[in-house]
Amino acid sequence: MASFNARITMPAEARAGEIVEVRVLVRHPMDRGGQVDAGGATVPRKILNRLTVTYAGEPVFRYDMHTGVSANPFVSFTTRAVETGDLIFEWREDGGATYTRTARLVVT
Amino acid sequence: MSAAGRAFAAALLALAGTAGAGEIKSGSAFLSPQMQRQQADQARNPGWLWVEQGEELFSRREGDAPGCISCHADPGRSLRGAAARYPQIDAASGKLINLEGRIEQCRAVRQKRPALGHESQELLGLAAYVASLSQGVPVSVSAEGAAKPYYEAGKAFYERRQGQLNLACTQCHDGLVGRKLRGDTISHGVGTGYPAYRLEWNGLGSLHRRLRACSLGVRATQFDYGSDDYLALELYLAVRARGLPVEAPGLRR
Amino acid sequence: MSSPISPACAPFEPLPSRRQVMAAGAAGLALAALPAGAATPPALAELVARLTEGAAPERAGIALDIPQLVENGNSVDVAIRVESPMTEADHVRWIHVIAEKNPYPDVARFHLSPRSGRAEIRATLRLATSQKVAAVAALSGGGYVMADADVVVTLSACIDGG
Repeated sequence: MASFNARITMPAEARAGEIVEVRVLVRHPMDRGGQVDAGGATVPRKILNRLTVTYAGEPVFRYDMHTGVSANPFVSFTTRAVETGDLIFEWREDGGATYTRTARLVVT
Repeated sequence: MSAAGRAFAAALLALAGTAGAGEIKSGSAFLSPQMQRQQADQARNPGWLWVEQGEELFSRREGDAPGCISCHADPGRSLRGAAARYPQIDAASGKLINLEGRIEQCRAVRQKRPALGHESQELLGLAAYVASLSQGVPVSVSAEGAAKPYYEAGKAFYERRQGQLNLACTQCHDGLVGRKLRGDTISHGVGTGYPAYRLEWNGLGSLHRRLRACSLGVRATQFDYGSDDYLALELYLAVRARGLPVEAPGLRR
Repeated sequence: MSSPISPACAPFEPLPSRRQVMAAGAAGLALAALPAGAATPPALAELVARLTEGAAPERAGIALDIPQLVENGNSVDVAIRVESPMTEADHVRWIHVIAEKNPYPDVARFHLSPRSGRAEIRATLRLATSQKVAAVAALSGGGYVMADADVVVTLSACIDGG
């Protein structure tokens, strides 16, 4: 299994009320399942099926992914800067595994 | 020279002109403006996910073995430009070695660790990381001395018709540059973006993986990863690319 | 610029994209000859109706930007922007993407809120073949808006499998 890397790109600081763009690139094969591998076995579906983002404890974005999302998916969304706090990114994978990353936004 | 001879010579010159024989361009020059922007954007080019993994592996120590960083301190400075000089002759063996080969050699000889293996995610990550440290540095390989026979072999490979389609590399990558082949635009076939993230692969891959796809495309023999045939061709392509900046991790179709 | 979907570009302009203009033109032509509603193929109409509980979405106030000619179906950039003040009283609840001819046509759903500030997302999709792609947005007031686009997926010349 390839390592799980996430590249989260957003400003470190923003003024209160400013709308910031958050860009997220994550490493995952997003196996859509059903293909036959070299040994004749059917590859099971294994994708990241959900990304949830909270900001200072409040949910601000959710991305429901199905098999039509690319491998190593990219997503960008916006959020309004309200207070200094952590954005917590949580991915849920088929089978129940979760991955979490955190990025801090300082609001001036 | 006869009139017909002059016309033929003029036609040849015109052909050379359209092929841009005097001006070799990077593979990214044949991408859409959108993909060019994405390649340059570290927040968007998935190749950087592998660079990140490589950077982490570079600093990691396994057991008593020294880490890469133990010898190559301050890699951003000490290894800047290193990738631009590969493939090169390995002083110890006198043989041609590429960047992936050098990394595996370091592991075996200095770190006493098992090989990572061609196209393993770890080797791709390390190669992408080390190559990324040379981004923007012009390719400056040597084709002299012990490298010369490899260069000659690579040039012969490039110019030799092969496979069931009986095509030589040069027929497309000099003669038909800029023309379409299915959804692709034919490029000069230089490898300055490798290891590259290809949409077709859904991941990062080496130049040799790309060359294997070329060989299969003309229904010719596919050589092994790291084979002398592809190493020699890699050197010839790098000589063609001299002066072009390293742009790994590239983004390709 | 026909596909301003790199994150490096400036935010969306409020102008309709060339695609929207073309789609509007095509819809106008079709409407001239056919009864209202016939411009949408039934399969897509059914997929949309399932999302909107039967309501017919308005074809306005939403921009779907996706290349007309896709370089590789493995990763297709899409950008969607809905015109909305994104206030408590008036905001976009979610944006749903459908790829009509994918084996599983529901591709993704983006859940937004007034905290989003703007109703604007970008993502990378996987398209099995040339087809119509649609974006449907649910508004806080109970209405829906949608846009769609025809996408041609081309093939790579040199692939590992030949």
